[in-house]
Amino acid sequence: MNIYVINGPNINLLGTREPEIYGHETLDSISKECIKLGSKDGHDVKFMQSNYEGELVEWIQDAINKKIDAIVINAAAYTHSSIAIHDALKSFPGFKIELHISNPHLRETFRHISFISPAVDAVVAGLGADGYSHVIELLADLQKSYK
Amino acid sequence: MNNRLLIINGPGLSDLSNFSEYGHDDLTLEKVQQKCLETCESLGLSLVFCQTDDEVELTNYLTSACKEFDALIINPIGYSHASLIDSDVYTSNIETITLQNKPVIEVHIANIFQKGIDITKPIKVSEGSVGFVSGFGIHSYDLAIRAVSKKLRIN
Repeated sequence: MNIYVINGPNINLLGTREPEIYGHETLDSISKECIKLGSKDGHDVKFMQSNYEGELVEWIQDAINKKIDAIVINAAAYTHSSIAIHDALKSFPGFKIELHISNPHLRETFRHISFISPAVDAVVAGLGADGYSHVIELLADLQKSYK
Repeated sequence: MNNRLLIINGPGLSDLSNFSEYGHDDLTLEKVQQKCLETCESLGLSLVFCQTDDEVELTNYLTSACKEFDALIINPIGYSHASLIDSDVYTSNIETITLQNKPVIEVHIANIFQKGIDITKPIKVSEGSVGFVSGFGIHSYDLAIRAVSKKLRIN
């Protein structure tokens, strides 16, 4: 199974950015853990991060072209504004999961609307950095049960 | 041992046949319960799994979550905003649990944000944190149980 984990703006600052909200773990340590978890069951997990909306769209299109099996996307602040990411996700036929480290619904009202949520299969939020590894583990399990 | 988990299922969840239109076929609450029991057993958690259509009973369960359990997973269906229950009573109960530093996760079988399933909104609490898992079918519970287990091990 090939999995893209696509991260949006400011996620590269994890570990130093408002740690009371986002925790102390860095994106690098999260990605290492997820890649290791995936490879245990023979899955290829690729982590990417960009501060540019268009680059996120291109990675989703790349996932479509390469017939990637699943996308886990933390669109960060673009969650609340990007119709372009919404549209790109709609065209991706594989399993797609929206992920957030914090729970946006418990924060400022400008974070309550997600353009990503209606375009994905499932949403995970507020589980901290552990959300990533929980999702990778679940994807691996799901694949086993569908085999 | 901090390993007592309460899973509450809100109104209407005794019949899961209507979830087939969202791609979650042949689901029954018994199957969900069985899967939750298996996952909890493998992680060393003790589980009480319940379902209620009654708001007084729901409030009683929430009160017991404050006193007798270490973590709560709740599928609130419409209770988080519907007029069936006083939403202040509901959110203050959830807040009380989160303020005790106990993990609370809201789960939904279908992705509640997809078209046609506008039956609920996520829980809004002003204090504490609540996790959110939606759209994995029966596996929404699985993911939430693992997250709870990890949090309890850290706390």
